[in-house]
Amino acid sequence: MIYEIVVLLTALILFIGIIYPTLWVFIASFKSEETIFSNEYATYTFDNYIELFESGFGVFIYNSFYICLISVIITIFASVTAAYVFSRKKFKFKIIYFGSIMLGQTFPWIILVTPMFILFAKLGFLNNHISMIFCYVAVSLPFSVYLLVGYLESVPRELDEAALMDGCPPFQIIWKIIFPIMIPGIIVTAAYSFLLMWSEYLFALAFLTKTKLKTMPLELYAFFGEHTTEWGQVMAASAVTTIPTLLLFLPLQKLISEGLTAGSVKS
Amino acid sequence: MKDNKFVFFLLIPSFFFIVFFYLYPTLYNLFNSFTDLNLFKLRKGGNWIGFENYIDLFVDPEFIRVFFNTTIWLTLVGVAVRIILGLLLAFLINSETLKKYKLTGLFQVSLIIPWATPSIVAVVVWRMILDPQVGFVNQTLVKYGIITEPIAFLSNTSFVWPSIITIITWNTLPLVTLTFLASLKSVPAELLDAATVDGANKLQRAFYVILPHMIPSIIVMILMSTFWTFNNFAYVWLATGAGPGTFTNVMATEVYLKAFVDGRMGYSSALGIVMASIMTVFGIIYLRMIVKRNLKEIF
Repeated sequence: MIYEIVVLLTALILFIGIIYPTLWVFIASFKSEETIFSNEYATYTFDNYIELFESGFGVFIYNSFYICLISVIITIFASVTAAYVFSRKKFKFKIIYFGSIMLGQTFPWIILVTPMFILFAKLGFLNNHISMIFCYVAVSLPFSVYLLVGYLESVPRELDEAALMDGCPPFQIIWKIIFPIMIPGIIVTAAYSFLLMWSEYLFALAFLTKTKLKTMPLELYAFFGEHTTEWGQVMAASAVTTIPTLLLFLPLQKLISEGLTAGSVKS
Repeated sequence: MKDNKFVFFLLIPSFFFIVFFYLYPTLYNLFNSFTDLNLFKLRKGGNWIGFENYIDLFVDPEFIRVFFNTTIWLTLVGVAVRIILGLLLAFLINSETLKKYKLTGLFQVSLIIPWATPSIVAVVVWRMILDPQVGFVNQTLVKYGIITEPIAFLSNTSFVWPSIITIITWNTLPLVTLTFLASLKSVPAELLDAATVDGANKLQRAFYVILPHMIPSIIVMILMSTFWTFNNFAYVWLATGAGPGTFTNVMATEVYLKAFVDGRMGYSSALGIVMASIMTVFGIIYLRMIVKRNLKEIF
């Protein structure tokens, strides 16, 4: 009995620790600036959100959304095609090529900043969302390929080999057979990539200097730096930044945790 | 269409990214690390100076601190805390008590919340929680008389590293915990029953049956957490800006500071190459131990 109470109490404390910070973001974002840190009473209002959007925060949400969305689509395209080839085909230098993509997971992204800055400057891609999209696809590619190859390994080969025997054109096999059966794996990969891109700070900091082109993490932090006393608005901006990923992850939580952990649990 | 041509076409997209975003930057940095290229004299270009940058690096006291911060604090302590807490939390979530009160599912869902919180938001909210004036932690500690003066957790040298580790752990613990939980649940029931029949108690079962079964997933999580943490720029940069002073400077922030604040791009490149080399060693371990084992068929 005492043992149970200790376990439940520990669980309760940890549970609060796990959810408190994010929960606080949402609660505080609705509190008025004067009462935000008061424990006794609080006035709830939408003012923080209204002021936030009046200050033009909407444009950063838009920027982040479309950069991440396009990047996720390209990532899925590039990693599905690569994963199919790695899983089903034999070719020269396969191990070296696959190994180098996997090594990409250990790549220190910071060393990409200088060479890309110079290259983008030459191509006129600085302050251009194309550069962001390219970088984001590159960053999420290795792990996406790893996840999708792992997923394809669990799909029976007979399925696509039979279609190939029947004379189905190779490109159609990917589009009509591989892609549909991989949907669960693709959703997991897309969710993982989206979260990665949505929170990305370094490349945005280095390659985007024009305010109206900036992404949400960049602007949230800048906003935080300038308005350290206006916690209400900072919390509203944080809440707006968290909602999309939360809405993406909560309904898919089972699929995502199973998909992301599958590769490492296999024994 | 011939199979070879087909394979070639399908590899073009990934090949493009590997060449332009991995190979090219690595070679670029490697080349520059042997020059004295300066940000403020970019047009002039750099002169070939051999290994001077690397020599400078290893005698620079700042590099020794940066190296210590990155390997010991950020990576070793950061990853160890995550793995140990993740294991304990997984055992807790899977415990009989939590199952009895039907709290397992609720706990699992709650882990999604810190996971889905973007790292930038995690840093912002924790900076508020740890704030000396308005922060919850200081308010509580002062209220109960544990401390008399509020602590500036993120600028006090005794507390800044534990605080950074706290932020990173909170944000990254869910993936580790959920992985361990999945592994924990995959322990064959017969194995546990057999141990029980042999008279093993809970602790013995955990140590001699469950943990050995979890070793592969523990190794994966150690390696992946190492990559993600060692290379990470954002947590330290946003939490402390590498401060107070350069007290929490790590390799990723040092590469940035040296290149874009000091303008010493050659030196910064050398540092980047050192980072990449260290990670490559871990990467090869990862390839041999994990990738090769999990994806046998493709090799």
